Amino acid sequence: MSLLTAIISRSPSQDPRKRELEEQILDALTREPDVTTVTMPHLYDLAEADAVLRSATGPLLVLAWLYPRAIHWTLDRLGIKGQCGEMQLHRADSAEENPKGSASAPNVPARTIWSLDLRDGDDASLHIAEIQRILRNLRASNLTAIPTPSANPKSEIRDQKSEISHRWYPIIDFGRCNNCMECIDFCLFGVYGVDDNAHIVVESPDNCKPGCPACSRVCPENAILFPMHRSPAIAGAPGAGPDARKLDLSELFGAPAAAQLATDERNAALAGAGKETKPKDDLDKLMDALDDAKL
Amino acid sequence: MPDELVFMMGNFAARFPTDRRYTLNHMWLSAEGDSLRFGLSAYAIRLLREIYFLEWSVDARATVRQKDEIGAVESSKAVAALYAPADGTITRFNAEALADPSVVNKDGYGAGWLFEMNGNASDTMEPAQYLRYLETSWTKAQALLKGQAAQ
Repeated sequence: MSLLTAIISRSPSQDPRKRELEEQILDALTREPDVTTVTMPHLYDLAEADAVLRSATGPLLVLAWLYPRAIHWTLDRLGIKGQCGEMQLHRADSAEENPKGSASAPNVPARTIWSLDLRDGDDASLHIAEIQRILRNLRASNLTAIPTPSANPKSEIRDQKSEISHRWYPIIDFGRCNNCMECIDFCLFGVYGVDDNAHIVVESPDNCKPGCPACSRVCPENAILFPMHRSPAIAGAPGAGPDARKLDLSELFGAPAAAQLATDERNAALAGAGKETKPKDDLDKLMDALDDAKL
Repeated sequence: MPDELVFMMGNFAARFPTDRRYTLNHMWLSAEGDSLRFGLSAYAIRLLREIYFLEWSVDARATVRQKDEIGAVESSKAVAALYAPADGTITRFNAEALADPSVVNKDGYGAGWLFEMNGNASDTMEPAQYLRYLETSWTKAQALLKGQAAQ
């Protein structure tokens, strides 16, 4: 059994620079003797956790092109739960904050999940250093926990290159959600539901209207993420949302009120709801690639 | 007409020179050559307090529409996005204010101007009109401040 399972969630874009970074990290991971490494498609696009994810019950490191909060709660949605591992690598412009786990939620196993945002640095060595730091700590704590080293330590790569389509749906941060039900009242598309314990859940994610982040804006706790939204606050940036220490006076200086913006977005989504989205053609794909390249 | 009008924000007297016009998003404007020069009104500056960060999200020469987001300020007390006060083309930003935004607090109606643009500023107010507008804005601002502070 390996000490750590590392998952590299591939970028949804075909950007060669992102591929290169993924390959460099993959290469470094395969040289670690006691790490099982798996690559998989963009985590957020998965409909369900595959066998590899489900069978990894020990410490888990997930590298994805998403904010750590978005990674953590996307995994949670897929039924992959654990305690948030502390990360020391942060992008320069972000406040240092690790996602908060749902400490009070039941059925969260003690195992640690580290969520690493691959956008935190263009240089693979930064990510590799962070991974090695985590491994050092794990090995140190394991010396006492498991006296005999693994019989056959080797690295494993299982690559999955299935073609999956891009999705758009809300992710709930249950570390913040207080089950107020504003979202279920606001959404007109039946995305939300409640479970047997009367807790809010994203019941029908694919009912969500691509591009519409309106429920995220009405959430009083800023607990709803759209990991692919261009606004960092909505995509799950650290400490994002109404800053606890500072007032946001944008509304006084001409910003549409958040509630108005949300209503406009929802209504726009409603107006477009009858239109079928056509499959992407080559030009669309080229445009996506250009967007991703951030020229 | 007096040189300035005064609006009381609690015990603070916000002053508004009468040699210029004002916008709904709390900027002043005055003609500067062929362009219009804009800055923050004393009301906006008082709400923000000490401004220490200013950035523009559009380039000089950018064509903007009224209410487009064009930048942001951060102060000791608050953050706020800034929005274009009119349709038109930005002609230049005040480099001095960009380098050291505290000049906005020190001399908001003079050296602390923000940007100049060419355009049609139709939605603007005489100082006296602006003061009447502040009566309603002040109530809204207090509600917003209290609402956010209570969070």
